[in-house]
Amino acid sequence: MTNSNEFKLMSHLIRRAGFSSTKEDIEKRLKIGYEETVEELLNPVHKNDTIDDYLLRRYNPDQGTSHDSTGAGSYWLYRLVSTNTPLQEKIGLFWHNIFATGYSKVTNGKSLTDQIAMFRKHGTGRLDDLLLELSKDPAMILWLDNMDNHKEAINENYGRELLELFSMGVGNYTEDDIKECARAFTGWTIANAEYTKQLAVRNSIWPYGKIAWRYEYDITDHDADKKKFLGHDGDFNGEDIINIICEQPSTARFISRHLYHFFVADEPPVPSWPYVEPQDMEAIKILEKSYFDSNHNIEAMLRTLFNSDFFKSEKVYYKKIKSPTELVVQILKITEEFDGPNFELSSRNNQITYMGQQLLNPPSVEGWHQGLEWIETGSITERVNFCVQQMSDLSNPGILKIINFILNSDIQNISTSDIIDKILNEIGGLDISQNTRESLEDFINNIDLSKSSLADESTIANVFGVIGSVPEFQRC
Amino acid sequence: MITKNITTKFMNYSHTLGLCTMEGRGFMFPVDTAFSNDGRMHTISRAYPAVSRNLRVTMYDTEGDFFGVYGGFGEDLGQFRWPTAITTHQNGDIYVSDEKNNRITIYGIDGTPKKSWGITGSNPGELNGPAGICFNKNNELIISDHKNNRIQKFTSDGDFISLFGNETNQNINLNLPWGITISSNDYIYVADWGNHQIAKFSNDGNLLQRFGNLGTTNGDFKNPSSVAVDKNEYIYVADWGNERVQIFDPNGTWIETLRGEATLSKWGEEFMLANQEEALPRSKSNLEPDISQFKGDPYEESAHIEKLFWGPVSVKLDKDDTLYVTESNRHRIQVYKK
Repeated sequence: MTNSNEFKLMSHLIRRAGFSSTKEDIEKRLKIGYEETVEELLNPVHKNDTIDDYLLRRYNPDQGTSHDSTGAGSYWLYRLVSTNTPLQEKIGLFWHNIFATGYSKVTNGKSLTDQIAMFRKHGTGRLDDLLLELSKDPAMILWLDNMDNHKEAINENYGRELLELFSMGVGNYTEDDIKECARAFTGWTIANAEYTKQLAVRNSIWPYGKIAWRYEYDITDHDADKKKFLGHDGDFNGEDIINIICEQPSTARFISRHLYHFFVADEPPVPSWPYVEPQDMEAIKILEKSYFDSNHNIEAMLRTLFNSDFFKSEKVYYKKIKSPTELVVQILKITEEFDGPNFELSSRNNQITYMGQQLLNPPSVEGWHQGLEWIETGSITERVNFCVQQMSDLSNPGILKIINFILNSDIQNISTSDIIDKILNEIGGLDISQNTRESLEDFINNIDLSKSSLADESTIANVFGVIGSVPEFQRC
Repeated sequence: MITKNITTKFMNYSHTLGLCTMEGRGFMFPVDTAFSNDGRMHTISRAYPAVSRNLRVTMYDTEGDFFGVYGGFGEDLGQFRWPTAITTHQNGDIYVSDEKNNRITIYGIDGTPKKSWGITGSNPGELNGPAGICFNKNNELIISDHKNNRIQKFTSDGDFISLFGNETNQNINLNLPWGITISSNDYIYVADWGNHQIAKFSNDGNLLQRFGNLGTTNGDFKNPSSVAVDKNEYIYVADWGNERVQIFDPNGTWIETLRGEATLSKWGEEFMLANQEEALPRSKSNLEPDISQFKGDPYEESAHIEKLFWGPVSVKLDKDDTLYVTESNRHRIQVYKK
């Protein structure tokens, strides 16, 4: 069953639209069908109602309040692992890397948690609506200094990044457009801006912990005069600017390329996009068409993408390096360590940081460079060590469950290759090369069977751990 | 302006104690408070594992005088990992429950650790997540053994005496019980967190009464975490999930809801005096925005409006029936008097 093309395709879909899954889950989805699964992922029935925030708050008040980056990151990790609406969380990760907003400057975990919740809510809707919410997002306003963008003295920071990094990309607008864009967003600020900024600068927890932030429109500080933006004239406010941006072909190209990069195959880092053509221009054009046909709807673009031949092609299977978050979430789903709030949650979140991706604290407004940059020398060691340690740990209920399943089969009469296949199947049908298979078989054949047996839990656990170290496991 | 649910007829706001601090004087996610025989208050900071030095018990008094800290993160004697509740023995010793280490630790009145006891498990006398604790008249320690969904009674040295709960009587039906207290008439009151109710038991574990249902109107609860009973058998409930405290008469009939009225504590005022760069913009800020914009979500209301209870996790009464509300998410204690 797991060798069938249908299984491999469904496994590919779940790896990309979610965080990998078990054989059992993939087989369930196969009974529903591929296109129906795509629809279920886009419009889940459950709406995340299985996640009990109150239970988390009881045991981990810092996570329940998103007190700092660790608390907020751990809270998100809990959702990523526990969710029954994986695409909703995945789209949060997608936008988090594009609209990258960091704790290093914001220093208010709840405002970042609120931003991710906004991505969950608006991330698959119209781009116009999403950019409007983004422009009102308190964390973004502070991150890009829009509370310092005044009628009498503009601050271009948000206006520049809105055009360069959030919608159109470099080369598709002028410096004057940036200034006019900034003018349109004057007065888009946060309540108690002076105090909030001071608290953020000092990372203040005084007197009574952190106060949540809220958007405020200060009409007295808004420049209502005429503006000229991308060839259009008018007394534009922020909403008008966003509408103009979303009509641009360059925006369709930029968003399409990001979707391809995140869900289909790794592209070069974003800063090189003005100079490097997409690797699959035909796919990008299909996505651009979907963007305009759907009136800028991200859900429609995702539907097009997941049902396309370019996504279903075996050529793009395992063509992406898992981000640290994707890797850790997959491991935690396999190990089933978190059937509820857990003392170890923050240390698991720290593992993501050690691998080079601190959730809610990207290195800059450009987000993280993805692809091969995830597996530099230092981070690959962290990744492999974590995978091996977790997947060979018999105290993890998910590992024990799979091992018992294997031991309950005719263990005395199965080959080393069968043991490998059974583990690979149970973790969602990981495809490995012949070289990797031979290495794994060598590992098993070198086990000293005078001290242990192939039918031992610990022996199988060691094989499980080594599978966590193979190159294919680092990809999705 | 905030007008919703704030009444002061039965209990009147007095003052606020505490300050959010990473260590030393102040609290970091405090979860419970006890009064020692020397008139001091002892508040547990549960903090969080990422910054383990934050975990401590802070000693101070209701005037805001500070006397030091004890405890700390770990598994050695005197340390804890998930400290949850604190209470005082008649002899002056302080008892702290730890729902991660599954044990009770005993300290002298000055915080010197003396002993800890507790075995992890679900057999009689074993613990799985000891949460609320209190002493009865016989100096027996009553423990809300929350993951075992039962109440256990021990001698003060940790010898098992008895238990009652779902395993002894299915009708008891506890669901992750948390706070626990003994009334002057020796009734045991339990904040039945997962059932959104307060349960009243006789001293030998007979279920006498349950009141409350899941909801947000007066008399309803959302995950109550703590209960206290005054000399006249009036009942005070930390309605934790609704971010409020409710008061009931001895029959369980609702009489008042408190939503929080915090002002700057003595420690907070001292901080502001020394940090004018925060004090000045704070003085120009509107810290009480229109509550209606948060659409009736008490969590969001409390996250945005500093004076409101946020995480009112524990209610305790002193010998004068003054009410102390420990708020984990605002790192302080609000004090109310009759």
